[in-house]
Amino acid sequence: MSLRTHSAVLRWIGAAAVTASLAAVAGCGGGTPAAAPADGAALTIYSGRSENLVGPLLDRLEKAVGVDVEVRYGSTGEMAAQLLEEGADSPADVFFGQDAGALGALSGAGLLAPLPADVIAPAAAKYRATDSTWVATSARARVVTYNPDLVPAADLPRSLDDLLDPKWKGRIGYAPSNASWLSFVTGLRLIRGEDGARQWLTAFAAQNPQRFDGNGAILDAVAAGTLPAGLVNHYYLYEKTSEVDPAGYKARNHYVPNDPLGLVNVAGAGVVEASDNKEAAQRAVAFLLSEEAQQYLVDETGEYPVVEGVTPTRDYDLAPLASLSPPDVNLADLSSLEQTEAMLQQVGLL
Amino acid sequence: MTGTEAALRITGLTAGYPGTQVLHGVDLEVPTGALAAVLGGSGCGKTTLLRAIAGFHPVDGGSVHLAGRLVAGDGVDLPPERRRVGLVPQEGALFGHLNVARNVGFGLDRAGRRSGRVEEMLELVGLAGYGKRMPSELSGGQQQRVALARALAPAPALVLLDEPFTALDAGLRAEVREQVRAALRAAGATAVLVTHDQQEALGAADVVAVLRDGRVVQAGPPREVYSTPADVGVGEFVGEAVVLPATVSRGRATTVLGTLPVPGVADGVGQVLLRPEQLRLDGAGTSGVGATVVEVVFHGHDTTVLLDLDGRTVRCRTMDAGGLRVGQRTEVRVDGSARFFAS
Amino acid sequence: MPTTTTSPARTHPRRRRATGAPPFLVGWGAIAGLVALVPLVYLVVRSLDAGPGAFLEVLGRPRTGELILRSLALAGAVTAACMVIGFLGAWLVVRTDLPGRRAAGVLLALPLAVPSYVAGFTWISEAPGLAGFWGAFGVLVSVSFPYVFLPVVGALRATDTGLEEVARSLGHGPARVLLGVTLRQVWPAATAGGLLVALYILSDFGAVSLMRYDTFTLGIYTSYRGTFNRTPAAVLGCVLVVLAALITWGEARARGRAAQLVGRGVPRQAAATRLGRWRPAWAGFVGLVIAVSLGVPAYSLTHWMVVGSSLGVDLPDLGDAGLVTLQAAAAGAIVTTVLAIPVGVLAARYRGRATATLETATYVGHALPGITVGLALVFLGVRVLPGIYQELPLLVFGYAVLFLPLAVGAVRTAVVAAPPRLEEVSRSLGHSRFVTLARVTLPLAAPGVGAGAALVFLTIAKELPATLMLRPTGADTLAVRLWSYTGVGQYAAAAPYAVLLVLLAAIPTLVLNRAFREHDRALRAQEKEDR
Repeated sequence: MSLRTHSAVLRWIGAAAVTASLAAVAGCGGGTPAAAPADGAALTIYSGRSENLVGPLLDRLEKAVGVDVEVRYGSTGEMAAQLLEEGADSPADVFFGQDAGALGALSGAGLLAPLPADVIAPAAAKYRATDSTWVATSARARVVTYNPDLVPAADLPRSLDDLLDPKWKGRIGYAPSNASWLSFVTGLRLIRGEDGARQWLTAFAAQNPQRFDGNGAILDAVAAGTLPAGLVNHYYLYEKTSEVDPAGYKARNHYVPNDPLGLVNVAGAGVVEASDNKEAAQRAVAFLLSEEAQQYLVDETGEYPVVEGVTPTRDYDLAPLASLSPPDVNLADLSSLEQTEAMLQQVGLL
Repeated sequence: MTGTEAALRITGLTAGYPGTQVLHGVDLEVPTGALAAVLGGSGCGKTTLLRAIAGFHPVDGGSVHLAGRLVAGDGVDLPPERRRVGLVPQEGALFGHLNVARNVGFGLDRAGRRSGRVEEMLELVGLAGYGKRMPSELSGGQQQRVALARALAPAPALVLLDEPFTALDAGLRAEVREQVRAALRAAGATAVLVTHDQQEALGAADVVAVLRDGRVVQAGPPREVYSTPADVGVGEFVGEAVVLPATVSRGRATTVLGTLPVPGVADGVGQVLLRPEQLRLDGAGTSGVGATVVEVVFHGHDTTVLLDLDGRTVRCRTMDAGGLRVGQRTEVRVDGSARFFAS
Repeated sequence: MPTTTTSPARTHPRRRRATGAPPFLVGWGAIAGLVALVPLVYLVVRSLDAGPGAFLEVLGRPRTGELILRSLALAGAVTAACMVIGFLGAWLVVRTDLPGRRAAGVLLALPLAVPSYVAGFTWISEAPGLAGFWGAFGVLVSVSFPYVFLPVVGALRATDTGLEEVARSLGHGPARVLLGVTLRQVWPAATAGGLLVALYILSDFGAVSLMRYDTFTLGIYTSYRGTFNRTPAAVLGCVLVVLAALITWGEARARGRAAQLVGRGVPRQAAATRLGRWRPAWAGFVGLVIAVSLGVPAYSLTHWMVVGSSLGVDLPDLGDAGLVTLQAAAAGAIVTTVLAIPVGVLAARYRGRATATLETATYVGHALPGITVGLALVFLGVRVLPGIYQELPLLVFGYAVLFLPLAVGAVRTAVVAAPPRLEEVSRSLGHSRFVTLARVTLPLAAPGVGAGAALVFLTIAKELPATLMLRPTGADTLAVRLWSYTGVGQYAAAAPYAVLLVLLAAIPTLVLNRAFREHDRALRAQEKEDR
């Protein structure tokens, strides 16, 4: 073996070592605020919503609340699991999540502190947790996404039970591990009762529905023409078409009013019980319900507002929330996920 | 520790592996400044012995003293790094990632490396000025000498050489062996050479110890071991031998080669051992026993002749076999005395 | 020769000192073992949270058994395919006159830098019909065969070709020599790579979920994501640990005893095997492997960069993410390698039940999904080490748990190949075992150890779930940025991050390849001198 061999390897290892020590000295590397204010007033937000969607909104939040804000982005499910693991030692002040189930689970574990009445006042009553531990910040409707080339308008389902028709066999996509699907099944249980829900799910499973990784994957499959239709949330279409030409992206939203298929779910926020800065955290939640924030969410993400009087200024093909007449479900009850999981296991859909 | 103490003294050494004993009570003493050869065939335990001396193999019984200091046995087991034993493995085994000078200085402390000891050692092995080379730039023989310089540099109590010449070309072997011997002499080092090669052992060592089945069966100066082996086995192992059945009566042994002098031996039946060079051929003579030439193998400086003596084949080595042809009748005569071993 | 610490040494109390592992190595290795045990402790604590009844209930679900079978089927098929492709690729690159073999040597290592979720996304978007077992199989083979290719290349380079020549001269045809002699010589390296593949497949979630093939990790993720119930996830995690331990044990059986280096220590490389009229076919095979594993993702990324409308690349952000990735991966690679050294050395030099157990323990983390290891460190971090929670040290800790086996295997292989005789020379020259390790063993094993570090570096660079949980707030790696964009469907915006990730990963691959080439050249020079 030659000296050169080793020197090449050692040189590389040396370079890596230098880099590593630099990283260690820097503490954490690029882009991190070096120091929080001395009184520890920096606010930590765990955001289960994507930085690309809500990053600019949270920048505005920092300005509005007047304290330094650090945001950790992640998936709602994983972040909720992390918060549950952290428990009373969590460094988080605010949890900003994608769906009611996660918020309900955190609330159920006693990890969310009740919000003062004036903070949640702007939101309509049905968008607040009954124990005030969290509040919805935007609403999203379940829709059937479909490819108009494959599914004529006349064939679109008018209710849940239309999907049990033989013509849908193997032609419907769903995302079994996705929180919004689980919320939908929970809603189904609340509306039709345990037996009714099991009955429908058993029949649905017999339809051989196709499993997907997530709503985005379903939409892509529909747009590509490999899947006729799928069960998703309404706003994914707007995320997709913000990057690709909507004319070439052949997926359309079909709203199903007065039916569990048209269930409305929410994204929401709460103050973490372990927070030592609850006052600023409450102001942050209050900001999310402000007209400025609501307008942003409606315009940038294509979601529905939770306060009266906000309307989208952008041209979305969005059915008015009122026209959906969603079934009457208490959002807080959407956290009874374990029974949902058990039922899905039973019918073989998980 | 006294100046007259042997550099290495091994007493009743036993060692082995779980379930197998390899060394069955080895006794060996090497005087200071001597080069001893441990000679043995494969499986005789010579590698285990060497590793036990160096401290890489645990000792089950007996003891090892180095320069009067107990290093193994009686509850003592010094780690290798505290035994002051220099090791020259087969094939040199230089540190490929270090140059020659740093290889030689590997066992020296900082002061030692700066004292000129490295250059001194390289000069000793005839490689002055090679310090900056990498091992891969040296020939096999040079690598071997660097390995020796490395072992000698910390002035060890003992240098162990593990078959150090077997990997070298035949032509190079004798030359390197001489250089190594000279370097060991010049350094005044005591050394133990482990080998299976009789020529190497007889040619290089001051003392030869023959190891068989985990025991030293004979130890002494090379000439003595060669000419007066302890038994037939040793005799056959240390060199070519002619072994013949014999009956001794009043100091003379009767064999197919006639009656041979065996001074001081009691009467009895057994074998005699002769060296091939003791046999003299005389194509025209009448002074010896008649034989037929079966095969002639020419070596350059001498010749091996196979003879048939009434159905018994005998090997004979002669400097003068110019006229011999296969099938020819010749007379055989024995020079000197034979070694007799009663059965 | 070296007896183990478990040998019947009691009758010879002094034997322990001479042959047992040195205490500093045992202590150092024990630290690595403790690091590896963190997720196990966590899983056991969480599994029993809801009592043994819940534990058994989760185990007894019919779906659990079904998912185990599905996972094992996938892991078995992918591992077998990776071993075939990795071995043949290595043989073609090292031993034959394959056209362009030098470039192929680099290109066949690079797919390691492609995250499985990027490959999976590419495949499903280009060919949605592939979804299912075969899609998952294809994606996972395309990103994980280098785990076999790289160690087998190293082993082939270190192996003397004499035996193969003997076999040829004894009348065995090329195919018979390849399978009967060459494969047998590099078998330990190939099975070690295969083990990494199998464990990785058990832990992967990205590719299988995109390919819609339900495996065991789906159960774990659904439990965390959908129902926020950590007990079933932990129970399933325990099952993965058991599977991983069984597979690791099985590999040790299949590997057999790694041959100690005998002979001159300098392997001779014979002239390249001539492929003759099969040359185009073999070239086609290598070309196909490269096209599928690198070409498809490259095409897709280029496609997105060209087609997408949100193409404005945020260069400072890209640079920041690159720097963070470099720092995290380098720190992780160094710490992981330092922890792996004692385990690898113990496994190479002091085989025995204790060292085998330690080695197995370090392998288990590799079979666990990143989310499980991440949560284990959250558990540990907030309770025991709040000072470094969501700071770089804890993140690096997590990487070490996940990727220790990558480095352990490399260290073990490299140390086995370093002649033990040189260590004895060093000891007899008065150096302790520690000094000998530092001055002889590790420098000799440096290329192999470096290769292990590079493997860890590559794998860390693309790690996502644990990074998301443990990174310092705001410090986004390239993988995090990639996830962030693709999560909302902005593939065009994500493409530059994916490209930079692959480029960053190419650096250690190239450096190592060059180091190995110089190494070869030096060996050839020495051989010339010897003749």
